[in-house]
Amino acid sequence: MQLLQALRVLGIEPLTALACVCFALGLWLLLPSTTARGKAFGLIFTTISLGLFATNLHLLSDWVSDAVFYVMASVTLVSAVGAVTMRSPVYCAIWFALTLLGTAGLFFFQGAQFLGVATVVVYAGAILVTMLFVLMLCNPEGHSLYDRVSWEAGISAGTGALLVFLLTWTTATTVFVDNTAFTDKTPAKDSKEPAPIVLTATAEQQNKNILAPRHVEKLGGELFSKYLIGVETAGTLLLVALVGAVAIIAHGKHAEAQAAAVRTSDGMTSGLNEEGRRNA
Amino acid sequence: MLSHAEAEIHLLENYLLIGALLFTIGLVGFLTRRNMIVMFLAAEMMLQGVSVSLVGWGRFHDDWGGQMLVIFILTVAACEAAIALALVQMLFHRGGNLDIALWQNLREGNQPRFVDREIPADDDPKPTFPKLTPAGIDPKTKEEDTIYRTHV
Repeated sequence: MQLLQALRVLGIEPLTALACVCFALGLWLLLPSTTARGKAFGLIFTTISLGLFATNLHLLSDWVSDAVFYVMASVTLVSAVGAVTMRSPVYCAIWFALTLLGTAGLFFFQGAQFLGVATVVVYAGAILVTMLFVLMLCNPEGHSLYDRVSWEAGISAGTGALLVFLLTWTTATTVFVDNTAFTDKTPAKDSKEPAPIVLTATAEQQNKNILAPRHVEKLGGELFSKYLIGVETAGTLLLVALVGAVAIIAHGKHAEAQAAAVRTSDGMTSGLNEEGRRNA
Repeated sequence: MLSHAEAEIHLLENYLLIGALLFTIGLVGFLTRRNMIVMFLAAEMMLQGVSVSLVGWGRFHDDWGGQMLVIFILTVAACEAAIALALVQMLFHRGGNLDIALWQNLREGNQPRFVDREIPADDDPKPTFPKLTPAGIDPKTKEEDTIYRTHV
């Protein structure tokens, strides 16, 4: 009971703390490990923690938006856990595609139509397909050793849970969902409390600006006026990345051929095999 | 029925929570997985988590800045994908597999060398593929057709 009270004083929801603990446990059990210990328990713990995090969510204006939001959020998070914990990298990529679709749905839900479409096209359409291509070129058959073990799963999951705990705690103590925050009273100058973040835009303003029916038109206008230099820089960056990728591959091929030539001539004379040279 | 301001702030808090969780899952994946491609994928997931929060803040403040930043994140992610996959491809050719532990010579000088202590058993069943029952007589194939395909 004293622990609960101490948590309350700090502004920590006990359910959130419990959710973080379950999150760490679940991820630790789910991550690939040497022994097939408790995958089912990991699944249960992760589900419990996501459910407990869902108690932190707030209700939106009507039940339809609630339903859509919950479906999108759960698809995103469940498939994110799947993408990180699957042993086969191909399954990881497919779960990640589902995460991307979920995020695109969340973007649409916020009224960011262009970003939703761009996420599907650029991420799911281009990046993920390239990734699968490289997997096809690189991946040996079956589950390789390094897919079946992970570094320090316990410590990493604990760190992750600590991070998510700090983030939710900060959000809960700085972003007020207090009704008094919406009145036009200004907080006293000399009070020690942090000033609540107050919404300034009215619904009418939003409908004219970010939620305007002609969303893409407005977005493009903004992008090519206020952020024009950024667009030019991004274009340059894309060009540089393209040249860089080609250079890396071309140079790698060249260096590899040279190394192979040296290896064969070396192998005759010194008898040092490749493994020995790498360990040296 | 919620007021407009309440609905907006609820939406913001929900998006911040989702973004935080997505970022954290990506972080844990990046720290634990050893396959280079899966590590890259987890890094992309962290970018997604940040994007979700940015879009939430942009909507809350009725400002385009959040969405603009996400557009630039998309651009940088595309560049990163090109470079990272080229590097992975090259490292695979040098090292023979996708294990990041092959490149542990790049670690700090005072860190001990990592050695796999327990090798896990591959307990996954081999995939079985369906087979069709053969029917009729075998078609005659030329000998060079078994070496390369002259037509499709």
